[in-house]
Amino acid sequence: MITGAFGAALAAHRDRFNARMREARRRTPALAPDVVAVFLQECAAPLVDAVAAQAPARVDAVVDAVYEAALALAARKSIGPGARSQLLAEAWTGTFAAFASLVVAQPAPVLGMLSNAIVYLDALPGTRPRQWLAEMAALAPRIESAAQLAVVGQIAAWRAGAAHFREGAIGAADGLPAALAVAALRAPENMELQALLMQMIDEPWWRGVGDEAREDLELGAFTGFGGAFATPPQVRAAQDRFVVRSGERYFTLMVDAYGAVLQPAGADDFDRAEAGHTAHTLDGDVLQLGARRIALDLPPAGLALCATRSTIAIVSPFTHAIRLLRR
Amino acid sequence: MVFDFFQKVSRAPTNPRTPTKAHEFDVADLYRGPVPDAADGAEPAQRALDEKLRQAYFWIVNKAIISPHYDIEYNDGPAQTFVVGDSKRVLTLPSGQSYSSYVLLPLLTFATRRKCLFVGGPGRGKTASAILMGVLAGSPVREVRRAMQHGHPQMTIADLLGNPLPADLVAAQSMDQIRIAWRAWLSMRVKIIDEYNRIPTRTQSALLTVMGDNYAEVLNQVFECPESAWYLTANDDQGGGTYQVIDALRDRIDVVVQALAFNPRFLAELLVRIEEDARPEELVPRELVFGEEEIGAMGREVRAVAVPPDVRRRLEFFASQFELSEAAGGQFEYMTKDTARLSGREWREVTAADTGRDRLKDLGCQTRNGVSVRNLMTLILYAKALAWFRGNQEVELEDVRQVLPFVLHDKLHPDLDAPFFAAPENAAYRFDRVSWLRHLFDLSGAEFLRLDLERDDPVGELAAQFALGLDDVSERETRARLVKIEKLIGTLTKGRKLYGHLYDDLLKLKYLHQRYTNYLAWLRAQ
Repeated sequence: MITGAFGAALAAHRDRFNARMREARRRTPALAPDVVAVFLQECAAPLVDAVAAQAPARVDAVVDAVYEAALALAARKSIGPGARSQLLAEAWTGTFAAFASLVVAQPAPVLGMLSNAIVYLDALPGTRPRQWLAEMAALAPRIESAAQLAVVGQIAAWRAGAAHFREGAIGAADGLPAALAVAALRAPENMELQALLMQMIDEPWWRGVGDEAREDLELGAFTGFGGAFATPPQVRAAQDRFVVRSGERYFTLMVDAYGAVLQPAGADDFDRAEAGHTAHTLDGDVLQLGARRIALDLPPAGLALCATRSTIAIVSPFTHAIRLLRR
Repeated sequence: MVFDFFQKVSRAPTNPRTPTKAHEFDVADLYRGPVPDAADGAEPAQRALDEKLRQAYFWIVNKAIISPHYDIEYNDGPAQTFVVGDSKRVLTLPSGQSYSSYVLLPLLTFATRRKCLFVGGPGRGKTASAILMGVLAGSPVREVRRAMQHGHPQMTIADLLGNPLPADLVAAQSMDQIRIAWRAWLSMRVKIIDEYNRIPTRTQSALLTVMGDNYAEVLNQVFECPESAWYLTANDDQGGGTYQVIDALRDRIDVVVQALAFNPRFLAELLVRIEEDARPEELVPRELVFGEEEIGAMGREVRAVAVPPDVRRRLEFFASQFELSEAAGGQFEYMTKDTARLSGREWREVTAADTGRDRLKDLGCQTRNGVSVRNLMTLILYAKALAWFRGNQEVELEDVRQVLPFVLHDKLHPDLDAPFFAAPENAAYRFDRVSWLRHLFDLSGAEFLRLDLERDDPVGELAAQFALGLDDVSERETRARLVKIEKLIGTLTKGRKLYGHLYDDLLKLKYLHQRYTNYLAWLRAQ
């Protein structure tokens, strides 16, 4: 049972909340009221309690936003037993209270940003939404506005594997207070922000302090197994990213130290891209790249390499995966 | 004593049954404990509104309008039937609480604030019934009578809506300075138009604006009318009267009820009225009068009544029967009777070109038009109202069956040249539209069961699957669904004649195919 300020806010606007539920169910017949009820009781209550402790006068507005978010999330099956994962529910229950002061100021935008980010990362292959959540929770006390939250969220999403956010995150970090930006980027504390950002733009394989040292990744799988590629992919280079063709579909492949992400592209992009030749030799199942020797688990026949300034992609007609190496 | 007799209202429940209320989400369940809250005290009174309306119904049928016709029949078990006369008509003694359409439909109109037309010969109580509805809404009888509009051939727009003030007409420098003396009836919660088919055509158009859009306009001045129930009377609903009723006005009428003949076996009750000089409309018990809030609450409760999917499906199947006209369109979407109507060609040209189908079996051949969206909405609302009136939270198939003839009475037009009406056993349906429409619904139900659509409805399954939403539906799954739709269309069209329900199923499948195609394109762009 919901008690205290949360219960009082629901009681004060009972008719409106019930009407909103009816309206939402009409729009989305599959929306389960029980899911909303459980979510409000178990997941939203800690946040509302934290808000009530900080700003009792804002409880009504926050409950309004919480209720709308619950309806939207239940309608999309992002919460409840049918959800893809329980991460969002866990975040509401355990982490969102840390953002109470931001929620008080702008309830709907802040709750929307946080929830959407988790839903997005949870659905994006190769990303680490739990890492995003942990880093956001750690940074929460230092974030002062919804605008800062958006930038920190973008940086954390990039660090959690969303490589396509890299450029935007580096650009936006410039607008944060230097200490917050350095903390979000996990840069050495004594480093000057502008110099750091310049370095990061030039070096996709730049890593923060304490980050796992990875110099190669694998991406992609057969569509029949839930992957993105219907046929073994072909790769071309376009500046610091790759363009991939698989069957009739085209993708842009972005890769850096934190992960690799595929985004849709067109045939024109593939036609305009370059072969990205790089000098290499094969010694049995070992690839020789300059002084580096890389063991492959693929037959040498049909093996193709494509390089950008920072990364080498290896594809083979015998696999639907792309292997990515730091150059 | 007579006055006591007229004032008496049944104290016993008019429909004794355990009240059931469908469980609906209520945020109060999240914060409310087991101890009742004083703030919830208003609810029981609201729940009693259906009982109050039933009490009003029984007071009217027992005390006010001598109406021995129980033509809306419900059965709780097997009913006693008797075959009577050379025509072998069936007299049924219903085993459940049954109702008189002549009283029930106007009351449902009152509860839902819609529009009801009384038809029937002179002196059958049409106007008296309408006045009773006005009194139930809380207006004094004298006020209801004065506000009633009497149609006549000289009726002008000013007679109907109001006059500009003469002083303003002389002194005004612009139109907005002319004040209008609006007629009192425009602000009534129950509006009565007596003999509406005697109103001249131009004045009918002004009436249409009030009926359709709920406002009146004279010299650029606008009067916004309150939500209200409408009662119109006509001696002849087939367009007779002094003036032809314009189609748009007829279409705004939600239900048509017929004043059936007076049974002289009830003459004794008329005698009491004469001897005691009693007029029922002046003796409506105060406890049966509904306040404005109560009328609004009734409407909300009626709309909250659920229509279960199986009932909705039967209604869909019925409505699907009538619009198809294969000969009327070159493109699939235009093969409708409405296309034929818009062309202005003779109806027989269309029917002559329509070959291949079994015209006796095809229900669509019995009508000259289809069921409009407005008709369907009205039908659903009245079915909900009837279910609510009977104390139910869900519409039953029988509720739809019972209200359908009154809603479609003036809307679904029979093609009397159709082979169906030529059969001797169907001859009565040429005259009795209520029975024909109910029979039509029964035939549709029988066809629905014959096709086993109750258990095997692949189109319905695909639609239900789509209704769950497209979130997280993968590209692979989308392609699989597209293939399934294409295969189903192949199966449905293989060597089969095109009937109305199949036509609508195919259009629904095309719709689903298009939605999935668009979704697939979007998915691939992600």
